[in-house]
Amino acid sequence: MKSIPDKLYDGLRSVKLAAFLIVLLAILSVVGGIIPQGRSEAFYLQKFPGQATLILALRLDAIFTGRVFLILAALFTVNLTVCSFHRFTGELKKPRKNRRHGPDFLHIGLIVLVFGAMLTARTRTESILYLAKGQTGSLPDGTAITLTDLKEERYPDGRPKSWESSIALEGGAIALVKVNSPLRLKGWTIYQQDWKSGARALFEDAAGMRFSLEQGARFAIAGGSILFMDIRREQPAEVGADEYSGAKALLLLEREGKRQVLSVGKGDPVGLFSFEGFEKESISGLKAVKDKGYPFVAAGFAMALFGLFLTYIRRLKGLFA
Amino acid sequence: MIATAAFVCLIVSLAAQAVFFFRKDGKKDPVSHWAALAAGLLLAAEMIRRSLAIRFVALTSMYESLIFLSCLVAILVFALRFMRKLKTERAIAFGATALAIVFLALASSPLAPDAIQPPVPALQSGWLLLHVSFTFIGEAFFAAGFVCAILQLAAKDEEKRRGYDRLAYTSIAIGYPLFTAGALVFGAIWAEKAWGVWWSWDPKETWGLITWLTYTAYLHFRLVRKNTSKLMPILVIAGFLIAMFTFFGVNFLLTGLHSYA
Repeated sequence: MKSIPDKLYDGLRSVKLAAFLIVLLAILSVVGGIIPQGRSEAFYLQKFPGQATLILALRLDAIFTGRVFLILAALFTVNLTVCSFHRFTGELKKPRKNRRHGPDFLHIGLIVLVFGAMLTARTRTESILYLAKGQTGSLPDGTAITLTDLKEERYPDGRPKSWESSIALEGGAIALVKVNSPLRLKGWTIYQQDWKSGARALFEDAAGMRFSLEQGARFAIAGGSILFMDIRREQPAEVGADEYSGAKALLLLEREGKRQVLSVGKGDPVGLFSFEGFEKESISGLKAVKDKGYPFVAAGFAMALFGLFLTYIRRLKGLFA
Repeated sequence: MIATAAFVCLIVSLAAQAVFFFRKDGKKDPVSHWAALAAGLLLAAEMIRRSLAIRFVALTSMYESLIFLSCLVAILVFALRFMRKLKTERAIAFGATALAIVFLALASSPLAPDAIQPPVPALQSGWLLLHVSFTFIGEAFFAAGFVCAILQLAAKDEEKRRGYDRLAYTSIAIGYPLFTAGALVFGAIWAEKAWGVWWSWDPKETWGLITWLTYTAYLHFRLVRKNTSKLMPILVIAGFLIAMFTFFGVNFLLTGLHSYA
């Protein structure tokens, strides 16, 4: 007669339990693979008018962060851990030449991976900085970075070929960030995440002095300020023409306590200045990530790969033997 | 043009196999495996031609993925002839050749434009090449397993059923580590480098995981159930159909990060 701990151990190391949990996780994943995840309530009401209530009530819109999926995944991790321990100790009892450690490395790699993923879920910090050339931004911990240069190359058909941002770090060192080639800096990883073109509004005073404003920025003038709010196009630009030709700048002019919204085109007056049109600029979207789970996830993948390699070599030997 | 020549080679291979398929003396045709090899080499040449044109390994579009998959299956058909222990090689080679033809036919359809386009920045990664190539090599073995599983279900003779079952298992056991490394491990590493996340529950990732879970379930059920159970071939067939849905269906029915392949 087995004791309760022995029964529990046998139950948790059971391959049948593993297979059962894998099937359940697969079924839930199919549901999550069919129903788009994490969308708004309005999306489900529009896309699945007959089933939206059920989807939202059962939280099928958030399967992978839902309690059922997480409980099954946790149980599977426990099963995998106990199974791996049992299997590994069993293999050690065999003669060295009969040992098969490929599945052990794969299983332990998966456990390390799950641990890393949990750490990532709890500790990951992420922020996106949009910087134009010469602009400085701060990472969430206050580390300042300045975009010193950005290069964009395009193929003849207009598709992007490469995006690169040169970044000046505190202390003056310059580092390069490219798509697929992130920069690791003081525990942060900076990715070339986005790239877009923007426009600055150009102004000139009576003396011919010019200044420009990025969208959302304010310029102080005597007794008030000019805020560049938005760009308005009453009709699309003609093919081949400058994309901002005919576009107007939406400004908020504050003077002597009075506020006035202006929609101005090239040459229109704005207080003591005149609006001189738009100046195009490229903006680099940099994603900064701090993730304590990173080394564990990477180690988990490395172990899993090693386990797969050992398993593969053995299978191949068996096939051509 | 090269792909068309490869298609003709595969048709010749299939026709030669069909002629000899029903011979009772068991004699093997002398040309089908060479025709399959020729098709595989032609498709490899087509990939090299496209790679030279874009100065990058041509594995970044649906068309290129399909000719790569067809190339792998054609070479597998050739290799089958030299696995002398296989008594059921003819039927498996026939099914696999038919699958290679299907992949190539799909490559010539409007679903897979054949325009030669150099890759956008996110696709310019060595990890992507490992991700795609290992995934498809794994899937080529899954294709062989799929054919064996169908033959297993159709076989009336118990000995044949066992033979097909063993072959299906061998195919999956070889394809599974390659698919796991390619689809999940290398895919996640590429995603981390390109987008800063290992995993984002993108539809293609989710369906890739479902494919992996299906084959994982198969390998675990093998440990606890009799080999003669019909569940085994059914899981192998389901796994391959899910893999093909992940490859094609997700692109056309669901949107996500993998819109290009």
